[in-house]
Amino acid sequence: MGLPLFSAHGDPGPSFWHYAQTMGLTSTPPTNHSDAPHATTVIAVRYLGGVVMVGDRQATGFYIASRDVRKIEPADRFTALAISGSAARGIELLKFAQLSFEHYEKMTDSALSLEGKANYLSPIIQRNNLATPLLVLPLLAGWDESHQVGRIFEYDGAGGCYERLDYATIGSGSPFADGALRLGFRADLDREEALDLGALALYEAGDNDPSTGGPDFVRNIFPMMVTVDARGFQEIAAADVAARFSVINERRTQSGGVAGGALR
Amino acid sequence: MSNYFYVSPEQLIKDRAEFAQKGIARGRSIVAAIYDKGVVMVAENTSASLNKVSEIYDRIAFAGVGKYNEFDRLREAGIRWADSTGFTYSREDVDARALANYYAQHLGDMFTEGQKPLEVEILVAQLGNKLRPTKLYRVAYEGTILDEPRFSVLGGDAETIKNRFALSEGTPQTLKITLKDAASALAGPDRLIPASELEVGILEDRGNRRTFTRLTDDEVSELLS
Repeated sequence: MGLPLFSAHGDPGPSFWHYAQTMGLTSTPPTNHSDAPHATTVIAVRYLGGVVMVGDRQATGFYIASRDVRKIEPADRFTALAISGSAARGIELLKFAQLSFEHYEKMTDSALSLEGKANYLSPIIQRNNLATPLLVLPLLAGWDESHQVGRIFEYDGAGGCYERLDYATIGSGSPFADGALRLGFRADLDREEALDLGALALYEAGDNDPSTGGPDFVRNIFPMMVTVDARGFQEIAAADVAARFSVINERRTQSGGVAGGALR
Repeated sequence: MSNYFYVSPEQLIKDRAEFAQKGIARGRSIVAAIYDKGVVMVAENTSASLNKVSEIYDRIAFAGVGKYNEFDRLREAGIRWADSTGFTYSREDVDARALANYYAQHLGDMFTEGQKPLEVEILVAQLGNKLRPTKLYRVAYEGTILDEPRFSVLGGDAETIKNRFALSEGTPQTLKITLKDAASALAGPDRLIPASELEVGILEDRGNRRTFTRLTDDEVSELLS
């Protein structure tokens, strides 16, 4: 590839997606295969100083394809992006988002707003999901630097982008995670409470959904937990995550697997 | 009916070179130098938003002098080339030498075949690592590409500034010393450029993937003090 120069009227601007389309860098051909690894639970919860994200680590096809997948990645310093659905398309979307946000920043010498990043993904999701049966649904959460607040954006299959003021879930384990979040969420959660609630909701999903991997005490693989706040994207240390899930597991063992009419 | 006059190739090249040099000489200059931990690019620039020094990729920076619209389009093309090369292959496959060669070819083509030559001079700087060396590639308006070992000066008054900077220590110094030398080489003996009119960008490993940083006026003032 030579030097990509454009005339002023044909210039794709700072959007890497438009540029990639102009140059034919990506293609999403229609296909009937839908056996790529998928199924997931990822949760985002807002708290007073930011957002918490918790995601399981299992990739499921007809069997468990992998037990230590990372479904939440930093899209940039203040944005976390999680994927559910087709692994191949999801990873492509992640790569694309990371590159696009950085590309925009370098081209214009200013970072996109969080809302700008959320909206940018809409047509990409729409195009992917309408062109192939390999659905991808991302979940975007981040720290809005201009408004100093944590924000969550979820999407539907047609690319619609919706801001959630409380919490959001994606993946096949959503109904179970959602139940726990619905009961446990308060608008004034602090970071610790949000982390514990997120862990409990993921535990519920892992317990009930065969395609969601809960804490794996045999292999010592635990769900991913991250926070995004004024300091940026931070992944919670494995030991800390293990401790939170051990506490939940201990309670469940004592009650014989019954939540027992309380958030425990 | 129009008349065509014969112009010898020598005359044509000479005229075009003069035209480009005149355009470049109108702008202010840039000094780029290797210091002990990285590369610093210092531009005399009265505008705080129309940049002459920019980030291209993780370890590659761009600097341009001359006509802003012309070198800014080259900067954009460089970012696009680097981002799509890294997307197609891997981040470690993005190499400044390849980019400098593309710039050289384009400038060379424009010089001989274009309506007019581009009135720009550009620099592609690379911060070295295990895979690649630290490099300063200067590309002139007619497509000449130079790999300069210690420092590079772009712009109209390049020779004078070059001679001034050449008096500084030959081995890589700290950022503070190198920036001071660069600023005084740009200013000359009877002038002092205020920090607000210096645009400074560095490539330095600070534990992040992206190594380019733009220094603020305060940081520049402090380093110059």
